[in-house]
Amino acid sequence: MRKYLLKRIFYLFLTLFIVATVTFFLMKLMPGTPLQNEAKLTASEKASILAQYGLDKPVWLQYFIYIGGIFKGSLGLSFQFSDQAVSYLIGSRMGPSMQLGGQALLVGVVLGIILGAIGAIRKDTWADRVATILSILGIAVPSFVLAILLQYYLGLKLGLFPVAGWSGFSYTILPTLALAASPLAETARFIRTDMVDVLSSDYIELAKAKGLSKFGIVYHHALRNSLIPMVTLIGPLAAALMTGSMVVENIFSVPGIGEQFVKSILVNDYPTIMGVTIFYSALLCLLLLLTDIIYGIIDPRIRLSGNGD
Amino acid sequence: MNLKTAAKVTVVAGASLLFLAACGSNNSSSSTGKTKQVANLTETAELPTMDISKSTDVVSSDALNNTNEGLYRIGKNGSITPGIAKATKVSNGGKTYTFTLRKNAKWSNGDKVTAKDFVYGWQRTVNPKTASQYAYLYSGIKNADQIVNGKKAVSTLGIKAEGDYKLVVTLDKPIAYFKKLMGFINFFPQNEKVVNKYGSKYGTTSTAMVYNGPYKMTGWTGSNLSWKLVKNKDYWDAKSVKMKQLNFQVVKENSTGLNLFNSGKVDDTTLSSQQVKNYKTNKNYKVRQTASTFYLELNRNDSNKTLAKAFKNKKIRQALSLSINRNEYVNTVLGDGSKVSKGYVSSGLANNPKTGKDFVDDAYVKSGVEYNMTKAKKLFKEGMKEIGAKSLTIKLLSDDTDKAKQSSEYIQGQWQKLSGLKVTNNNVPFKTRLSRSTSGNFDTVLSAWNADFTDPISFLSLFTSSNTYNNGKYKSAAYDKYVANAEGKDANNTTARWNDMVNAEKTLMNDQGVIPVYQQATAHLTRTNLKGIIYNTAGSLYNYKYMYVK
Repeated sequence: MRKYLLKRIFYLFLTLFIVATVTFFLMKLMPGTPLQNEAKLTASEKASILAQYGLDKPVWLQYFIYIGGIFKGSLGLSFQFSDQAVSYLIGSRMGPSMQLGGQALLVGVVLGIILGAIGAIRKDTWADRVATILSILGIAVPSFVLAILLQYYLGLKLGLFPVAGWSGFSYTILPTLALAASPLAETARFIRTDMVDVLSSDYIELAKAKGLSKFGIVYHHALRNSLIPMVTLIGPLAAALMTGSMVVENIFSVPGIGEQFVKSILVNDYPTIMGVTIFYSALLCLLLLLTDIIYGIIDPRIRLSGNGD
Repeated sequence: MNLKTAAKVTVVAGASLLFLAACGSNNSSSSTGKTKQVANLTETAELPTMDISKSTDVVSSDALNNTNEGLYRIGKNGSITPGIAKATKVSNGGKTYTFTLRKNAKWSNGDKVTAKDFVYGWQRTVNPKTASQYAYLYSGIKNADQIVNGKKAVSTLGIKAEGDYKLVVTLDKPIAYFKKLMGFINFFPQNEKVVNKYGSKYGTTSTAMVYNGPYKMTGWTGSNLSWKLVKNKDYWDAKSVKMKQLNFQVVKENSTGLNLFNSGKVDDTTLSSQQVKNYKTNKNYKVRQTASTFYLELNRNDSNKTLAKAFKNKKIRQALSLSINRNEYVNTVLGDGSKVSKGYVSSGLANNPKTGKDFVDDAYVKSGVEYNMTKAKKLFKEGMKEIGAKSLTIKLLSDDTDKAKQSSEYIQGQWQKLSGLKVTNNNVPFKTRLSRSTSGNFDTVLSAWNADFTDPISFLSLFTSSNTYNNGKYKSAAYDKYVANAEGKDANNTTARWNDMVNAEKTLMNDQGVIPVYQQATAHLTRTNLKGIIYNTAGSLYNYKYMYVK
């Protein structure tokens, strides 16, 4: 196990290094400069300002300077937020995104499991159809449409929740709901399919024959077995949700990281692009590693080992 | 893991979630103000910095303009109102300005605002190490250009403190709009002690900054989406400031802004063109113009020789302009409150010093911006005959935003009504459009220019033959002469200078040197009980010093 972990962590850093390198050179292929007032500066003014930021140096040298900086623990300073440290920007922007992502994951997965289980148990009844329709809607309706509807009806018309902003728990509810729809739908469909299989398997028949209660069967035998493959689904879902949704964050004026990434690309904010890319990659790698470890713990059939591959 | 427990936890968590939510919405007070002298305003983008030398955007420019103050403060209609300077003496043929500073001006940390703060602030901005993107505005102040280019020491800048309250500025040549520049945030003083104290963190949060203006900023962490401007009791003219607090919230989606406005949480919001349709008659509806003109440039140095010839032909240029129905375009295509251009210089920017008439009315050339398809077709035919061409294919370069795409499609449609003219659209990202424009790699391009300060020269200097941003290579000796006179010989003569600028604009329009299309504006809903907001079309847009809630 330990050997396996060490190996995985080594690969994690290797992956991050490759991602950082590829991103760096791709990023330098983008046209334009990070100057915000580019339209009004003459060529010589631009050159002298860029020289101050070391952007006049050859790209390979800039690359080594940047990588050197990372080893010293610095992600550099942002251009769009002048002089703001990228690590600080990511740190403070990440909190709200992670909170929303975490809440949405919890709400989505829990409700999704319930909905999926109902669908499977009451297969081909009205309850199943309603559950199916709900999960199809959850996937078909984009989160921003849901966000706008939630904001208009629950926020403005009914006044149940704050319309937008970020100053307390109540402000997180509408964005959480908007984000939860898609994991909810995915979980529900996944659980239903899986449980339908499980429910028709021999050991369930045996349990029925032994006269176990219906709840007992579903809860102890069917649901538990169906949950194992869910772990593979949750890893990437968590990564997707926690890295922030630009659209939902904009609609609810949440100071999250979602838009930061997109905007930094649009304005050639090199240090921010790099910082956020590395951070996202690290998060995804970690979650995948975690998924594999959890898998090994809950499913005895899967054994993690350093050798054998 | 016990599923039963998990289920219970979820139910409890869900219930408390709803409960907390209900509490939250009850607690938040509706704050439309009601003589409380508090207002809730919105911004459409984050505040990127509070460093005077580094500000490049409207959000920080507005924040700095209301929390700090220079020698003057720009008032209504771009007028010059008192700031830190108590008296000003102009001598040496307009090349020396001697400012006497008021002694009761203080920084929010208790320090006195002295002439040394101006010297320090200015030197910091022109210092190449600071990499300020607005240092070019200092051009004309003695040695500024050489300092910016790293050829002279910062200390040689034409600004000197004589004691604490006397400031002497030396110029290379008279600058007619120099006093206006003094109201621009880049010329505000900076407190050396505070800049050094915070080092690279200076201006990155509301606490790592010091204020000498009507308001102080609080609650800005450097990356959050809300902050406050609270009345600055140390401000020298604090008795004129009636507002206790201005709350700012960044709202990037117009629909969110509208919902916040309708729920009473904010008192001002910007509208999208779709929303404008529904709120045009609302009593809170307000259109705010900016000094920003969108115009078409025609490349007279086009690598396609036929096109270069065509763009040098005045009849063809005029035909291209006459074929655009600007009214229809602005009202049905854009529909966001933007206005039809009356010329290249934007309206609401500057007024005739004698008659008070808007510059665009003084310099109006009808043929330069009117719509007349019959005439356009006739002129185009004649022009084509003159250059000996049967058909033309023009690429129209423009940004790739939704708005720019709609714009180029509209223009394409109108131009293709001229027989023998084929237009293809080329929508690219802003930065690409910019680099292709400056390198001359285009046939026609939809460009935009925003004035830095409220003087027509901020527009007009662009199309002199030697200007780098004269992308279409418009060349007119008469135009060059008028602009040169306005910036040189007539700089101290207000009337003659005004006439020079009017003549320059008329020359440009009579030549159809560029094809102005529209002037950008933003539609707002602003509660009618907010009074005294001063709005200018260029420079720092908002001045809240005299604002109050009725």
